[in-house]
Amino acid sequence: MIVRLLSAALVAGFLAAVVATGLQLALTSPLIVAAERYEGRHTHAAGLSAPLPIVLAHAHEGSEPHGAAPEWQPAEGLPRMAFTGLATLVGGVGYALILGAVMLACGREPSPERGLAFALAGFASVALAPALGLPPELPGSEAAPLAARQAWWLMTATATGMGLYLILVRRAAITIFGGLVLIVAPHLAGAPEVAVTQSELPAGLAAQFAARSLAVGFVFWAVIGLAFGWAWQRFGRGREAGAHV
Amino acid sequence: MTTSTQTFTTTRTSEGAKAILVAACLGLGLVFLAGFSPASALHNAAHDFRHTQNFPCH
Repeated sequence: MIVRLLSAALVAGFLAAVVATGLQLALTSPLIVAAERYEGRHTHAAGLSAPLPIVLAHAHEGSEPHGAAPEWQPAEGLPRMAFTGLATLVGGVGYALILGAVMLACGREPSPERGLAFALAGFASVALAPALGLPPELPGSEAAPLAARQAWWLMTATATGMGLYLILVRRAAITIFGGLVLIVAPHLAGAPEVAVTQSELPAGLAAQFAARSLAVGFVFWAVIGLAFGWAWQRFGRGREAGAHV
Repeated sequence: MTTSTQTFTTTRTSEGAKAILVAACLGLGLVFLAGFSPASALHNAAHDFRHTQNFPCH
């Protein structure tokens, strides 16, 4: 079972990463690169520990920033795309493993349809709900401290996931009520402040990025769910056929 | 017959629970690595992925 679960998650993560990397490179990466031109002018002038990619790339041309050792980063162009793809693969396999674990823990035999249903809940938990309080941000538009935003993100994703489980899997009156409370609570508690700094980043660019980011996330999750269900069934058939021989 | 079925079910259940636990821990670890790890090199490598998937970045 463990082999079947890991194999199906690997296949699902790989297929989702292929699709999502293509979409990211076509839709969101160009916006990120464009936004980096505005990054650091206002919002990152002080208090930023990690130098930004665009600054670093230029630093090699002669102006070393205060003698600080440059931190490693992928070179622009193909290496950067490759690392984006690699990160998407790692994230995709990770999400697929969590998806499979949750499905089996809920006692649902994974199939493409059920995988898609659980993946939609996953998308709602880690993309849609956190985006309500922390809209997908381009470089150069962040305001609140990173730790506060990460804590709120984790809290919201966990609470939404638990809430959806209570509502959709448990389906009793009391659990549905508890689930609704869990889903709404992080938003009542309030997300860290959204950026209201005087960034020179055009609002249209940021809006386009937020919409594209959610669209890419949706496709990412949908492929993970469909592919995990498909791969799970396929590896199961192979094992049964092997047992009969 | 009943005993063997019970043993089978118990073995399967404990095996399944172990598989679920391993997959969940591994999955959370991978997502942390790609989305949250504070190491500068990992942040820079996963930068565009983090922004697109709406992980808090910077």
